[in-house]
Amino acid sequence: MWVNMGPQHPMTHGLWNLRVRIEGEIIKDVDPEMGFLHRGIEKISEDRHYNEIITLMDRTCYVAGLSWEHLFIIAAEEALHIVPPERAEYIRVLSAELQRIGSHLMWYAAFVQDLGLTTPFLYGMRDRDLILDLFQTYTGGRLTYEYMRVGGVRNDLPLGFTARCRQVVDWLMDRFVEYDRLCLSSTIFRERCDGLGLLSAEDAIAYGVTGPMLRSAGSRRDLRKDRPYSVYGQLQFDVATANTADVTGRYLVRMEEMRQAVKIIRQCLDWLDDNPGPVMASQLPRWLGAPYAPVGNEAYLLKRNYPTGLGFSMVEEPHGEAGAYIVNDGGEHPYRVKFRSPVLINIWAAKRYLPGYRVADIPPIMGSVDVCVGECDR
Amino acid sequence: MKRDELAASLTARFGDRILGVDAFPGLLGRVRFDSTIALELFRAFRDDLKFVHLTMVGATDWVDHREVFYVLWSDADLVYVLLSTNLPPDAPTIASAVPIWPSANAHEREAWDLVGVRFEGHPDLRRIFMPEGYAYHPLLRSFKIHEPEDLEVKVRSD
Amino acid sequence: MSGQVPAAPKAGNPPAAPAQIADMPLEVIGQPGVPFVEIETLRAREFIPAAKEALSSLLKEQAEGKLIRPVFNWAGRNSLFPLHWGLACCAIEFAAAFGARWDAERFGVVPRSSPRQCDLLIVNGTVTWKVAHKLITLYEQMPEPKWAIAMGNCATGGGPFRTAYSVVPGVDKLIPVDVYIAGCPPRPENMLDGILRLEQLIKERGA
Repeated sequence: MWVNMGPQHPMTHGLWNLRVRIEGEIIKDVDPEMGFLHRGIEKISEDRHYNEIITLMDRTCYVAGLSWEHLFIIAAEEALHIVPPERAEYIRVLSAELQRIGSHLMWYAAFVQDLGLTTPFLYGMRDRDLILDLFQTYTGGRLTYEYMRVGGVRNDLPLGFTARCRQVVDWLMDRFVEYDRLCLSSTIFRERCDGLGLLSAEDAIAYGVTGPMLRSAGSRRDLRKDRPYSVYGQLQFDVATANTADVTGRYLVRMEEMRQAVKIIRQCLDWLDDNPGPVMASQLPRWLGAPYAPVGNEAYLLKRNYPTGLGFSMVEEPHGEAGAYIVNDGGEHPYRVKFRSPVLINIWAAKRYLPGYRVADIPPIMGSVDVCVGECDR
Repeated sequence: MKRDELAASLTARFGDRILGVDAFPGLLGRVRFDSTIALELFRAFRDDLKFVHLTMVGATDWVDHREVFYVLWSDADLVYVLLSTNLPPDAPTIASAVPIWPSANAHEREAWDLVGVRFEGHPDLRRIFMPEGYAYHPLLRSFKIHEPEDLEVKVRSD
Repeated sequence: MSGQVPAAPKAGNPPAAPAQIADMPLEVIGQPGVPFVEIETLRAREFIPAAKEALSSLLKEQAEGKLIRPVFNWAGRNSLFPLHWGLACCAIEFAAAFGARWDAERFGVVPRSSPRQCDLLIVNGTVTWKVAHKLITLYEQMPEPKWAIAMGNCATGGGPFRTAYSVVPGVDKLIPVDVYIAGCPPRPENMLDGILRLEQLIKERGA
C-alpha cells in the first residue's frame, strides 16, 4: 500500500511528499516526490545581473542564506576573474559559520519537537534569535540578507560588533551543554533515535549523501578541510564526526559542528580586530559596481569588454555540500547557472536508508536529514 | 595527479574519443569526451582513478548542441574533475550513469526535467520538479520566461 | 451589537433579576451584581433542565441571529487556529513567531496539523502551480467559518519569483484572501500584526 506523507504533514518541514509503500507497519519502499517549491531560480538567474542573483540565493536556502550567498559569490568571482580583499573573505567566513549555528539551531528546534519534546523548540528558537540579532546589526535582515557582493561584502562590520559577537558565542557554548543534557538524558529522545536510519559511509558515498549524514557514519569528509575555499585553510578547527551512523550520531555531529563553528568564529573575530581594511575590491568593472545598469539602446550600443569564463565552487553548507557552476559567456547575465543541492540528494537517498523501519520511525529519521525544501527544489 | 598525467592516461586508453583535457580554475581539468564512450569512461574514472563521488550532473543548452557535464570528486587526490560532452540538439541522448554511481538517479532526472536530456538505461526517468505531463523543458534557451522588450531602432515614417 | 463592550451595571442599582436564564441579555451574564444561575451550585438533576432551557432559548434567539453569533465571533476571533503548513521562507518566520521571543500563543493562535481543526490558512511562502490544487484542497477541507492570510510578497503577488514559469503570481488567484502581509519575509511582529488585523476584520464583519 502506498501512503502519502505530505505535502502537508508535520513531519516534512516544508513542501515535499514522501510516498511510502508499507506492509503492515514496515516500510518496503519509498519514493520522495519533490518540486512543490520549484521556483525556477536557475532560469530567473539567466535573466538577472550577478548582484541581483544574490537576492535569490537568500531565498534558495532560507535557513542558510549567507552560506548560499558565499557559494554563489565564489563561483561568480571565478567566472568574472575578480579577487576580493582578505578582510571580506574573513567576514564571509564569519557569516557562514554564524549561519551554520543558526541553521543547526533551527534544525534542533524543529527536529526535537517532532520527537515530542517541546522545551528544546523554545530554547533553540530563543538562541537562534541571538544569531539573527547579530546578522541584523550588519546586514539589516533576519533571513534574507543580500549582504555579499561580487568583489567583497556590502559594508564593514559595525563598531562593537566583535565584542557583542564574542558575548553571544560564549553564551551559546554554555547552552550547547544544556542541549545535550536535555536531549541525551531524555528517554524519549534516546528511544526514538538510537540505532535508527542506519546508513554506512560506503552507501552514503554511493548515494551521494553529504554533510552531517555522511560524517555521522565515521567519514572525515569536510570540504572545509579537503578543499579549503576562502580562508578556511588558515583557520584551526576539527571535523566533527560520529561513528554510530544513526539519528543520534547526526545529532552529535551537528552539536559538535556548532562548537567548532564557535572556534572558527573566535579566530575570525581576532583577525578582524587586528586587520582593518577595505571590504570591496577596488578594481571592479563599472557595470558590476552599479547594480542597475541602464537599459535601453545606449546599454546595447556601448561596446564593453565583458570577461568570459567558467566558475565552479563547492562549499560545506550546513546541510551538506552545495555546488554552483556558472557559465559566463560575456555579459551582465550568466548564460547558465547550475546549483547542486545537498538536500535533494539526501532526501532522495531515503530509498536506501528508510526501508525496513516502521512508519513511526519516519519523523526522527527524516528529521535528522535537516530538510530545507527551498534549496532542494530551487 | 596533474592534468597532463590525466590527459595522457585517458588518451592512451580511449584514443581520439577524448576530445581534450582543458584547464579549469580550481579543478583538475575539464575532460571533453565523445558521448559514445560514456559508460566506459565513467567506469574508468570510478574504478581506476578512484573518483567515487558523483557531485553534480547538469546540462546546458547551446545554439548547435546540448552540453552535459558531470563533476566528480576523488577522495585519494582531493580534486574535482569536470567531464563534458556534446549531444545533438534534436535527440540529446546519453547513457545513464546510474549503474556506476547510484546518486546519478536524482541528478539525471533533474537534467531530463529541466533541459530535456534523455538518459538511456535510467531506471526511473520521470520529471522531478515539474508535474508529470508538463510540455516544456524550462531551462532550454528557447523557453522564454517573458517576451523581450522591443528595443529595435525603427525608421521614422515622416 | 456585536463587539460592543457592555456598559457595566451601576453599583447599587442592579438590574432586576430575570425569572429565567433565557431572559437575561447575554451582555450582563457574569457582570458583578447580576444574579445568574451558578452552575457550580446546581445539583446534578437540576443542571440538565437548566442547561436545556438555556440552550433552547439561545437557539431560538439564534434564528434571529442576535444572541449566539456574537459569542461565536468573540470566541472565534480570539482563538484562531492556523494550519501548521510551511511553504517557504516565511514559514521560518512563522515558526519564529511561536518561539520564545514573540510567543504568538498569547493571542490564542495555536497551529494545528489537520485542516479539519483549523479556521485560518496562513499561506507563508511561494505557491507553485504544482502545489496549487493541494492548497485549494486544504482550504476546502477547513470548516466554515474560515479565513486566509497571504503572508509575504510571494503569496501576495509572486514576489521576486513573479517572472518564474512555475509560480502562481499571488495566492488570491486560488483562494479568497482576507489579509495581506507585506515583507520578504515579514518579521514575526509583522505577522502578529496581520493576525490582529484579521481579528479586527472578523469583529467588524461580525454577527
